[in-house]
Amino acid sequence: MMRIMRRGEPLRAIRWPPPVALSTAPWGRTSLELVGAALLLLALWQLATVLAGTDLPGPARTLPVLWELIRDPLYDRGPNDKGIALQLLSSLQRVFLGFALGSLIAIPLGVVMGASRLGRGLLNPLVQVFRPVSPLAWFPIGLAALHSAPTATVFVICITSLWPTVINTAFGIASLPEDHKNVARVFQFSRWKYFSKILWPYSLPHILTGLRLSLGVAWMVIVAAEMLAGGVGIGFFVWDSWNTLHVERVIAALLLIGAVGLAMDRVLELLARRASYAT
Amino acid sequence: MAANGYLQLRDVAREFTTPRGRFVAIKQFTLDIARGEFVVLIGHSGCGKSTVLNMIAGLLPPTQGTIWLAGQRIERPGPDRGMVFQNYSLLPWLSVRDNVYEAVDAALRDRSRAEKLAIVEQALRTVGLDAHRDKHPHQLSGGMKQRVAVARAFAIHPQVLLLDEPFGALDALTRAELQEELLRLWQHDSRTETVVMVTHDIDEAIYLADRIVVMTNGPAATIAEVLAVDLPRPRDKRAIVHDPRYADLKDRLLYLLTIAFAQHAA
Repeated sequence: MMRIMRRGEPLRAIRWPPPVALSTAPWGRTSLELVGAALLLLALWQLATVLAGTDLPGPARTLPVLWELIRDPLYDRGPNDKGIALQLLSSLQRVFLGFALGSLIAIPLGVVMGASRLGRGLLNPLVQVFRPVSPLAWFPIGLAALHSAPTATVFVICITSLWPTVINTAFGIASLPEDHKNVARVFQFSRWKYFSKILWPYSLPHILTGLRLSLGVAWMVIVAAEMLAGGVGIGFFVWDSWNTLHVERVIAALLLIGAVGLAMDRVLELLARRASYAT
Repeated sequence: MAANGYLQLRDVAREFTTPRGRFVAIKQFTLDIARGEFVVLIGHSGCGKSTVLNMIAGLLPPTQGTIWLAGQRIERPGPDRGMVFQNYSLLPWLSVRDNVYEAVDAALRDRSRAEKLAIVEQALRTVGLDAHRDKHPHQLSGGMKQRVAVARAFAIHPQVLLLDEPFGALDALTRAELQEELLRLWQHDSRTETVVMVTHDIDEAIYLADRIVVMTNGPAATIAEVLAVDLPRPRDKRAIVHDPRYADLKDRLLYLLTIAFAQHAA
């Protein structure tokens, strides 16, 4: 459905993670369902704990730890002992920096790919080759080039942020209906008017979809990247907790990572909704 | 009607390159249209009517032959030609007013903003949509959308108005209403606009046209016959159907379209 056949490879908008449609009703339809979902989670968790034996802490052991973390999120006792909010903020900072850099590269790249056949011919093979590469494989390259683990982390996020945005932007630009172009041509729209009144409003929802997917991936990758990079950040926090055998903290952090990711996704979804238009 | 060649199509042909080779859509298309004339192109779908219209609009260059407008060769779109598209072609993210305004703003560059806004208001009033100016296209019915498109095309006061099956997607009652409205607008401008319209509706063609150009079936479509419609204007839709000339025209058109150039089953 979402494909355009021009010369060469068909270009698809990627939707990943796939169930975008599901997430439009994130809290379930009723608060009762939400409560049900929470109970289901606790039950499955408890079951897993029982099956795994005592090494895996259950809700009863974990939730107090989670509360401890949330209760004093901003304490700072030296480089290896910081509150959970500080850890999260430091991760978010890297994510946003990498994401912003990535978007600044990805959107123009996508525009070129969507607007010009030559651009597509040159760039599409590169995108197709590098997109499946695990973001973490870029980490050593970042280290080699940038000589700093935090900077390499930002570099990894930047690379990660590229692909969904590039592909969705290219799709948005390339799928502009011929009818809209004809309106611009018949009424002699200037280049600026064509861009600002037709191309941009048409492709913005596609671009925002790309950005939303990119940010989601970036948030997933930051945890892994910080495990490699060390220092500070929620990924490092998880790894450090594991090394000190605080599995409760690992699970608590996991819940918080999910909550933050969900919140970011909501924000971009709101933006996307504002940019969307009914046809 | 003797044509003085205000809009001239001279031996025009248009070929397309497709994956399966060259495809001749239109060939040897020669037609003279007078200033202020209302010409309807009629033919089966796929016969290349829209291709002719797009070439006059300057959206599509002929692969052979030339099109002249007031002595100038048509090579690209221009503010002297306005177009109403088959599927409204409104920009869904703009309000009714902005849809008209952006076209006016682009086509009439030398006017002041106040003048352009006045033109837009006037155009929307003429089609009875001034109360809906702040709505977006998705909030409008098909008939209202096409009214906006008509207002947009008339607002730039083009010399030539090109209409590509403008009422094809509308129900019969709305279509009849818009046909009358179109004639009213055209007469309002003292019929200075030359109109070229594409349709496959025989009654619509007779009601609106000074001349009806019947096209052969594609590929390589061309003009089969040109019929003059000698019914006096303004025309009364209910009265003209009793005119013997109306019956003759309809009979001839039916013969041409259903027997002489019957569409082969696809």
